[in-house]
Amino acid sequence: MNDLHAVLWIARKDLLQEARSKAVTVATVFFSAVTLGVLAFAFGENPLLMREGAMGALWVALAFAGVISAAQSWQADLEDGALEALLAWPVPRAAVYLGKLLANWGLMTALGFVLLPLAGGLYGAAIGGNGETAPALVVAVLLGTIAAGTLGFALIAVFYAGLTANLRARESLLPVLMFPVVVPILLAAVRASNALVGSGDLDLAWAWLRLLVGFDLVYAVVCLVLFRFVVEA
Amino acid sequence: MTDAAARLRRPLWLRIYLGITLLLFLAAAAFGLVFSPRDVTQGDLIRIMYAHVSVAWIAFVAVGLTAVFGALYLWRGKRRDDVLAVASGEMGLFFASLTIIGGMTYSRPTLNTFWTWDAKLTLTAIMVALMVGYFIVRGLIDDPVRRGRVSAVVAIVAAASLPFNYLAAEWFRTLHPAKSVALDGSGVTMDATMLAVLLFNTVVAGLVYLGFMIDRVRLGRVEAALEEERSLAATRPAPVGKEVVRV
Repeated sequence: MNDLHAVLWIARKDLLQEARSKAVTVATVFFSAVTLGVLAFAFGENPLLMREGAMGALWVALAFAGVISAAQSWQADLEDGALEALLAWPVPRAAVYLGKLLANWGLMTALGFVLLPLAGGLYGAAIGGNGETAPALVVAVLLGTIAAGTLGFALIAVFYAGLTANLRARESLLPVLMFPVVVPILLAAVRASNALVGSGDLDLAWAWLRLLVGFDLVYAVVCLVLFRFVVEA
Repeated sequence: MTDAAARLRRPLWLRIYLGITLLLFLAAAAFGLVFSPRDVTQGDLIRIMYAHVSVAWIAFVAVGLTAVFGALYLWRGKRRDDVLAVASGEMGLFFASLTIIGGMTYSRPTLNTFWTWDAKLTLTAIMVALMVGYFIVRGLIDDPVRRGRVSAVVAIVAAASLPFNYLAAEWFRTLHPAKSVALDGSGVTMDATMLAVLLFNTVVAGLVYLGFMIDRVRLGRVEAALEEERSLAATRPAPVGKEVVRV
């Protein structure tokens, strides 16, 4: 078995575990829907504010849900020494990280695709168009933005969740440690989404999207190199 | 523990160094406040720049060195690298906080706002938050080896944002002024006297950093020795004479 297989097996294990327990799905879908609702109350009854804040609210909901998802993916392995067994597997530690990353990214992207129409409907935001760009293209780029944003988020979240997995006070520590790191990613994702939903401005969205992919690459390298120092059997 | 008490005393040469640094610091302040010419557009407000820019450069150096010492610790596993990383990290947090305070002082009269969420300011605020996280993590782990490794990882991730911060003023439209001293060799767009004063201020800020570093490393070594002694005492059933573990 080569390392790529190991990555896929770990991702498969995590997704299978999730398919059977549905712990993350139930918690994240419900929690992010509640977050969208709470933020809608916070915006008040100003339709313009609601429309412009729609993508910001979507990313806040995704970020909070992402913390739950990443923490849970390590939490489940802490029971019955499963993590020790996993780390004793003769594959690079980075393969364990990549597998968990893949599973988390998949879950979060799916959640993002579900939340997008929900946020759009709840906040009265429609895919903007200036008549020149096709709405289908704008939607496609928007979905790509969600995939790139959740990738960057999952990179950091899974990394820090592994780091805090066997520390005291991990529940409160994880957001404290990871949110400062993901701020640039969230910022780029929100700006790119806003450009698409507000005016369908592909050029502006593209500029932010490039930055987002740049962050993804930098953090992917840093996290992959450092991960073997993060977990200990 | 008279030995440990003796090690806690600042040696004479360090006291002399710190005294000279204090005098140089006063001289640097005098250069900025008195000898520097007034700026064409900013007038006397340019004098804040000497303190702000020099401190900001040293903050970047300190956070960068925290990551370097952290990486060395990951590589070699020597306790002294961890001691160096902590010392530099504390200085990094201190100088980065001063950068933000100085920046706000400078920005209010010149740009008419204390704070704006643009790229450079946001990244600097994030750097402070990351360094705070570094010390929170350290406080939560008792095992010195694990503490050193995990905090080194946190420091390296924190330092990964430094290049973005350095380039932010060029990549984005930001309120923060662009660099007048470029490191890519494209030259200096600054009055010669002003540049001299700025460089002198930076050197003195570097000397302050170095002095505090040396003192903190001294303290860190005693800390490490004490920690090791205590863990030995905890594993040993009966006290065996008096021993001092050196690091």
